[in-house]
Amino acid sequence: MLAIDAHDVEKTFRSGWLHRRETAALRGVSLTVARGAIVGVLGPNGAGKTTLLSILATLLTPDRGRVTVLGHDVVREAGALRRRLNMVSGRPSFLWSLRVGEIVAFYGRLYGLSGRALRRRVDALIELCELEPYRRAPYSDLSTGLKQRVALAKSLVNEPELLFLDEPTLGLDPDIAARVRAHIARLRREQGITIVLTTHYMREADELCDEIAFIKAGRILARGTSGELKRQIRLGEVVALKLDPPRVPWLADSPGTLRCVEVDGWVECTVDDAEKRLPELLRALHADGVVIRNVQVREPELEEVFVELAK
Amino acid sequence: MSWRNELLAVWAVTLRNALMGARNVFFFFELLFWPIVGVLSIGLMSRFLELTAAQASFVLVGTIALSVVNVCQLEVAYAVLLDVWSKSLKHQFLAPIGIRHLTLGSWIVGMVRSLAVFVLLAALGRWAFGFRVLQPGWLALATFLLGCFLTAWVVGVAVCALITLFGNRAEAFAWASVNMVLVLAGIYYPISVLPDSIAVLARAVPLTYFLDAYRAHYGFESEFRAPIATGLALSAFYAALAHWAFLAAIRRARRTGLLLKMSE
Repeated sequence: MLAIDAHDVEKTFRSGWLHRRETAALRGVSLTVARGAIVGVLGPNGAGKTTLLSILATLLTPDRGRVTVLGHDVVREAGALRRRLNMVSGRPSFLWSLRVGEIVAFYGRLYGLSGRALRRRVDALIELCELEPYRRAPYSDLSTGLKQRVALAKSLVNEPELLFLDEPTLGLDPDIAARVRAHIARLRREQGITIVLTTHYMREADELCDEIAFIKAGRILARGTSGELKRQIRLGEVVALKLDPPRVPWLADSPGTLRCVEVDGWVECTVDDAEKRLPELLRALHADGVVIRNVQVREPELEEVFVELAK
Repeated sequence: MSWRNELLAVWAVTLRNALMGARNVFFFFELLFWPIVGVLSIGLMSRFLELTAAQASFVLVGTIALSVVNVCQLEVAYAVLLDVWSKSLKHQFLAPIGIRHLTLGSWIVGMVRSLAVFVLLAALGRWAFGFRVLQPGWLALATFLLGCFLTAWVVGVAVCALITLFGNRAEAFAWASVNMVLVLAGIYYPISVLPDSIAVLARAVPLTYFLDAYRAHYGFESEFRAPIATGLALSAFYAALAHWAFLAAIRRARRTGLLLKMSE
């Protein structure tokens, strides 16, 4: 069953009164997301990630295309849909002098919670997001990481079936970002929430997402699991060697070797097929009298896929 | 949406605005400082010009109406402005909230605040200048205040629509247009003193009729046949128009992306 079913979505922003400027943000994007999945939307700045998420979350209306989210048309049935989804964005902002508990309660009331039910939900979210010591703190006094946690608490107040996370760990310290990622993984595991997230951090996407869609200049260029994308892009595999002597000039010219670089005392050779090339390389090195101290084989990083696609 | 959820959404906005107002020293300032300065300066000017008691009442009614409308309409405009200033507009419109909840919730706070301003200014007017707001009777006073609140609602919602339509840069224009409406309504003078072409515009402002009806109780001949009915009818018309304009502005902001831009 699909949580999101979007076909040929187009969006162009127009600005200026006298000199009209047009910027095509989305050029026929199609995306389906299964219920309960975590899907990452990756791409360089200005690729259209936030525009896509905003359309799916009913904050923007598409120019063209058909978008159904949780069975509702995002334009015609936006009101009913808003009760069932929520969103967290990077660098969140709320009314500066409201306190943490009041912010969560304000949004809770908008979703129809009151009395004991509201108090229980606010308490539970404050506990979940580890905000108890800051419950009475004004929003303006909070650090970036705490603000992000308030945004996460607010986004769960309506127990959404679908959650959009737009750069949820942007600007956070690594330890806080890891905790936010743990929260996200727990939400899917314990509550079965469908999550669509955008991020610049490839490790985050690799760690959290079942599937990844690469978007560039308003088009989805590739889509699949992290492993599928790495294979699709044909970046090859990396054979890392610790050698004595450490430099072997002919290594880069060996058959099937795409490139070789030196990293921290290791020679990293990207080869087209590690299973086939590794024995060949080892034999050639041995014949040349080179001592092989260590060997590792690994897939390329998702970041390398990103760089390749973003070119 | 059920009635319970409708009321809850209005209550959420009411509580939010009340909390924000209670914690902002500038809100307290706008509640007290300018209204008191207005009544004192106009009252003293009327004494210097040796106006009769009725004439002094005429201008003081206008001064108090100005403060009541200004405080109330500002609060209605906060329905959008608070979120624009704190860049949280998109969170608000991501929730299942309608503009009716926003404007009604803010209007309730606005009426409470401007009623407090009215009581304060009435007491000050009585103590300093012998001006009696209750001379026309409770019903006339209630009708006059209702007229002020309705005008404030219309102006406040129109300001919300302008800001949602043009972004933050519309703020200055929005405040200027508020004062223009108040000047047209004849706050310090009967509209018969205005040039004919301007008087036509003044007749299109609901507050003109509520001021006229209230001042009639101080001995000034009414310029209109049925001022209260006309004022109420005009208010209803403008309220519907302002609501539609705000709704259209929100739809446009969702289309153009301004809703997101104002949250960045």
